[in-house]
Amino acid sequence: MLLVLPASFQDVLAAGMRPDRTIRGKVRDAANSEPLPGVNVLLKGTARGTTTDASGAFDLAIPDANNTLVFSFVGYVSQEVEISSQNSLEINLHVDQKALDEVIVVGYGSQSKRNVTGSISKIDMKQTENLPNTNVTQALRGRVAGVQFTDNGRPGQNGSILIRGPRSLSAGNTPLIVLDGIFFNGSLAEINPNDIESMEILKDASAAAIYGARAANGVILITSKKGATEKPTIRFNAFAGIADRSYKVRLLTPERYLERKRDYNKSAGLPYEQVSNLLHPSEYANYQAGKIVDHWEVVSQNSSIQSYDVSISGATNRTNYLLSTSMVKEKGLYLNDNMNRISIRANIENKITDWLTVGLNSMYSRRDYSGLEPVQQSNIGPYAMPYHEDGEPTLNLLPEDQTHQSNPVRRSILTKNEEIWNNLFTNFHALIKVPGIDGLTYRMNYAPNIRWRHNYNFTRQDKHIGANTTAADKFMQQDFDWVLENIVTYSKQFNNDHFLDVTLLYGRNHTQWESTTANATELSSEVLGWHNLGLGSVLTNSSASAVTDGMSSMARLNYHFKNKYLLTLTARRDGSSVFASSNKYATFPSASVAWILSDEAFLSPVEQINLLKLRLSYGAVGNQAISPYQSLGRSSMNRYVFGDGGTSSVGIYPSGMGNANLKWETSYTANLALDFEILKNRIGGTFELYNIRTNDLLVWRALPQMTGVSGVWTNIGATGNKGIELSLNTINLRQEAFEWSTNFVFSRNKNRIISLYGPNTEGLEEDDLGNRWFIGQPINVAYDYVFDGIYQEGDDIPTNSRAGWVKLKDLDGNGVIEPTGDRTIVGQTEQPNYRWGITNNFRYKNLNLSVFVNAMQGWTQSIDLDPGIHTHRNYNRVDDGWWTPENKSASSPSVTYLNPLGHAYYRSRDFVRLQDVAISYDFTDLAKQKLKIAGLRLYVSGKNLYTLTKWPGADPESGANQNGIPASRTLTAGLNLTF
Amino acid sequence: MKKYIFLLAAAVVSCNNDFLQEDPLILSSESVLVSKQGFDNYMTALHYGARDELSKYDYLRWYMNLQIGTDVINNGEKATPNFKNWVTFLTPVTACVQDYWHWAYSDMLPRANSIIVYANKSENEKIWSSNAEKNAYIAEASFFRAYVHNMLANLYGGVPIVDTVYTGPKTDFIRNTRKEVYELARKDLEFASQWLPETVPANREGRIVKAAADHLLTEVYISLEEYDKAIESAGRIINSGLYKLMTQRFGKYLNEPGDFYSDMFRTGNHNRSSGNLESIYVWQFEDQIPGGYSTTFTGGNPLLRYWVPFYVNVRDPDNKPGMVVVDSLGRGVGLCRPTNYFLYNLWEGNWDNDIRNSQYNIRRTYYYTNPASAYYRKKVEPAHIAKQDTFQMIYPTIRKVEGAIGWLGRDNPVRSGLTSSDFTVFRLAETYLLRAEAYLKKGDLSKAAEDINTIRSRANATPVLPENVTLDYILDERARELISEEPRHRTLVRTGKLVERVRKYAMLPETKSTIQNHHELWPIPQVAIDANISLRLEQNPGY
Repeated sequence: MLLVLPASFQDVLAAGMRPDRTIRGKVRDAANSEPLPGVNVLLKGTARGTTTDASGAFDLAIPDANNTLVFSFVGYVSQEVEISSQNSLEINLHVDQKALDEVIVVGYGSQSKRNVTGSISKIDMKQTENLPNTNVTQALRGRVAGVQFTDNGRPGQNGSILIRGPRSLSAGNTPLIVLDGIFFNGSLAEINPNDIESMEILKDASAAAIYGARAANGVILITSKKGATEKPTIRFNAFAGIADRSYKVRLLTPERYLERKRDYNKSAGLPYEQVSNLLHPSEYANYQAGKIVDHWEVVSQNSSIQSYDVSISGATNRTNYLLSTSMVKEKGLYLNDNMNRISIRANIENKITDWLTVGLNSMYSRRDYSGLEPVQQSNIGPYAMPYHEDGEPTLNLLPEDQTHQSNPVRRSILTKNEEIWNNLFTNFHALIKVPGIDGLTYRMNYAPNIRWRHNYNFTRQDKHIGANTTAADKFMQQDFDWVLENIVTYSKQFNNDHFLDVTLLYGRNHTQWESTTANATELSSEVLGWHNLGLGSVLTNSSASAVTDGMSSMARLNYHFKNKYLLTLTARRDGSSVFASSNKYATFPSASVAWILSDEAFLSPVEQINLLKLRLSYGAVGNQAISPYQSLGRSSMNRYVFGDGGTSSVGIYPSGMGNANLKWETSYTANLALDFEILKNRIGGTFELYNIRTNDLLVWRALPQMTGVSGVWTNIGATGNKGIELSLNTINLRQEAFEWSTNFVFSRNKNRIISLYGPNTEGLEEDDLGNRWFIGQPINVAYDYVFDGIYQEGDDIPTNSRAGWVKLKDLDGNGVIEPTGDRTIVGQTEQPNYRWGITNNFRYKNLNLSVFVNAMQGWTQSIDLDPGIHTHRNYNRVDDGWWTPENKSASSPSVTYLNPLGHAYYRSRDFVRLQDVAISYDFTDLAKQKLKIAGLRLYVSGKNLYTLTKWPGADPESGANQNGIPASRTLTAGLNLTF
Repeated sequence: MKKYIFLLAAAVVSCNNDFLQEDPLILSSESVLVSKQGFDNYMTALHYGARDELSKYDYLRWYMNLQIGTDVINNGEKATPNFKNWVTFLTPVTACVQDYWHWAYSDMLPRANSIIVYANKSENEKIWSSNAEKNAYIAEASFFRAYVHNMLANLYGGVPIVDTVYTGPKTDFIRNTRKEVYELARKDLEFASQWLPETVPANREGRIVKAAADHLLTEVYISLEEYDKAIESAGRIINSGLYKLMTQRFGKYLNEPGDFYSDMFRTGNHNRSSGNLESIYVWQFEDQIPGGYSTTFTGGNPLLRYWVPFYVNVRDPDNKPGMVVVDSLGRGVGLCRPTNYFLYNLWEGNWDNDIRNSQYNIRRTYYYTNPASAYYRKKVEPAHIAKQDTFQMIYPTIRKVEGAIGWLGRDNPVRSGLTSSDFTVFRLAETYLLRAEAYLKKGDLSKAAEDINTIRSRANATPVLPENVTLDYILDERARELISEEPRHRTLVRTGKLVERVRKYAMLPETKSTIQNHHELWPIPQVAIDANISLRLEQNPGY
């Protein structure tokens, strides 16, 4: 949204130039004669200019001499008009066919979407600007084929992102984040979504191979906004809302709580007739007094969200700038689970000479997570006592039952906590257009990143305890990372048929961190809180640090023949200090081709087809996502005191096995895709098939305990990911005042282990039962006994079982249920078989309604539904029923069931969720006429409004169990204001 | 400008690649085990691990399982399954079965083996002032290696021997025979006995002395049926002149009521320097100093918590809470409930004279401790508790477990079950009883009776006649002398008496009826079988 500045402001801009006359005019689209608002009108060779208003009109004071006006507008061919004596102008701008194509950031450069050969999905942040997102990742949720973003329901947390399924068995599966061209090692929660122009997801090896060793899990390129208009654009966005849980776990009601205890006592031969037989004395007192507590009420708070941000941006002849600041206040569902974020961004680029441009993109963010959440998420029984009568938190939920249920909110109340994360991220860059050689440029990036954070706690005296309960601790960490890159690009069109674009990179990167922790207990005075730990009577401290270094070089060649046969070749060589001496380096090549069929003579006459492009790619990318020093043996520390009244001695013990052969994990991806735009661009989309083979998996391989370690980082075997992805954009209905469009994404990923340790003596690949890795099966599976109902009275019940106990399938039919032979793969966990998301957008005049439904299906997870656990304690459970002689359940065992074989209970995590609904109204016309501002839009939106699922835990998407945190159901109202 | 930048680029490119070599900011065996200080650090961590046998974890998965379900101790808690129904409780996925296996192989053996392997490295030769000095380090580590193998063989039968440090994955472990495991322990202990010091200075108490090796060696010889050697190794301790059974009051509490037997278990009276000449090997606990406890909140000495009844649940005759936690009793939760066989039958005939049944050693009288109760400070009469839970909430307490409640207990009554008392692992009284066992097995009943009577006469109990000495008698005497000190479950397994005596003396009918012959050994943890993918690790029969 753009505007015409008040006349007085224009005068200021024009100061120093004496206006002699005013020229007026109107700018239209040459194709349909519609007026074009927002067109830049510039007096050539000066900084004097204006933009057209909503009716395409402009007026500009110009000197009384021969002048040239330049009319420019994004997506149109610029036009220069010489003005002699006329006072009015009618300008028709022509659509720039090349610019019609979206520009895609591809890493170390950008390309027209038409010319991209790899698999890249772009997320235009405009799509989600009416949604109350405080984290850029929320814009990914369900909207991109092949990308699984899981929100964990907590403020300021990242959730997790998985691109095309997990490759690696245990090294990180988190994609590489590149912010404005630089590896971003901070948290995505630090980035203000309103600063972001777009995000590009590099999915196949061809697109990602330029990031070599870090790209195996895909790459997310985040591009911040730049100034666009000559006139400064001031934008203000605000929203505020309230939230509640989207699902309440069905715990036992007070009546059912008693019933479960009654049934237990009955079957265990304990007295059960009186309620007092079932409850602890203090529970019974609460029962009699009618005091009931709700687990959720105790651990939760009123949840709300507020966000404000303001930005100023502009682009003058020499300088392009964006300055912004934002503030977010989030109060999560869980007590003290809060985040306040302040962020500031300055993007400035200045053209010093024709050949030299320098700039910086910088960001500072401060996140405040102060306050301790409940420490233990136990389900609190209905007659528990979280507070004393004076409002102080109790120590245990029941004075008598002290072993299992400490008060989950005790620390939240008694301990003052300050947790603050700072991030200062800057990229200084210089761009040289080498004079004399057209198309040759050199770019240098130097990007230092300093992050520092601290976490302080002070626990005050518990007024109900005589002994000194005070304690304080301080934790501080500093990170310093840098990236230095030299990039040379050369791009040239040789006659009409050949286009060449070469990119060369050499760079180094470095990360380091150090941390210090200090603790004090039993402080002599409470006055100073954590500010003087010396007041403590027992003091301990520790510190740690790590350093990693890397180097990279990369070459990329783009070649276009006749503008319809496209080729991209890339190679990257990376070195990383985290690997063993002999394996520090690896090279990752890739190649891709694309063919724009719709430009061929046999298809170009077909009017219904606007674009048809076939892409094919193959390449390698790596994974180095392990901590430093894993190739070396490692030891840890403890302490012991010999003798009475002796001093403390330091103990050191071996804690990690080294691996002198540790090396890169490499993924080879083949990708076949079809991009299409048909029926006058009414239907467009992409269909992709891929096959990824990952070799030398970097794995945390669990080892037999007899080796002395729990496991080791090693490279083994191979995994495969095969999948299909479909994105479809359709305009279903388009009339003057009404438009209905749909965006649909679908993806399916099939993941399997191809090989582990190589063939055995008989030439067969063997499973690794210890790690639950099975050849031909997905990486994450549940391996267990098979549930076969509940033994009923009269059944043929084995001697060590009884009626009401779980019946397991005797898979090998040998008459005994035992680990060998009766356990099998019972389901795929962690990753759904397929995902889909559908957004419907309805626009009637200025009113817009957008509805987004997100779904993941075909996965399972274990959840503790054992009804017999902690029957004697103040412990609530998911009410999944239980077997009794009177009420014979066929799905849930009796409360006496001991589960001697230790099987788990599995439930489907399938869900379909009404994730986002937003209604917005654009008051731009009104704003311009009455308020004299450029734009105004108001919206209300709802998040996670309804979920269809059978998952009994708090949330199927994150897999939160009965103790977890559900997704927030948020209701928000907001406005976007443009000056 | 341009030239300058290109020069910079060239400078970066031409850097050599040393920057990718790691300069480790971490500890490792390679960097630490190069000096005597480093070996001391590893030894300290080994002692830390050894103490964890008692205090690594809390509650159902750990220490109580070495006591309960036996002839003399029950699980006092009705709603928890531990060793009630043996069939449904003791399986290859039971927590204690996995956790003790893990502790042995992942905590203890890598620490012990690292010391032995690195001490023998030729490049470390220069750090030792003498062969004897080097061997003393190896000897102490060997003691622990033997201790762990012996314990594994007792509980699980034949297990894989681990006598080295693995530097790469290994998934083809095989079970050695039980005898082979005992043989390794014997070899290590013979070496340890040769090279360990006879005593250590007060500021090193808790470290391993020669007698500790000989004591354990005696037990291992008995398991290997080498009774003469067992008699000889026990004799080395008994005849050393360094140790003697306590017969006089001693230590820090002379002005408080008590007797010479109770003195041995008071906080601060476990180590030799306190005057306790019976103690041979002691786990060290210390209040208010890092390392004095394990780092976990349960890290104090948890005996009181396990053994003292959950008395805060006792109601007064008005059916109001009669008890609150008091310092002298601490906070028990009644998980290790002595059987009535122990509390009553075992003292028949010596009820009043056996010092081990004195009021200072078994608390049989309680008083209401709740100031809000009308019965405050009044005696808890049997009639008051007739209808209350005398299985967990109130029963006579073994007073050895009482001790000073340290800072752990300051803010949480749960931790008021944790004391800063040291724990005596081996003491001379047991050495006598081990030698008696060896004499019995050898057939020398009068010598066996002589050793038992040394213990009994010290306790003012009537002597046993040689013809009445049986293995069962020795097990009874061990219970009287060593209850809450010896890991009873292991003792019964070692002597082959577990199943028989549980069937005879367990209190719960379910425990008696469900124990099967195969329960003589614990199962091999399923997680170990599953992980050993290259060779099948055989399960014990019956599981």
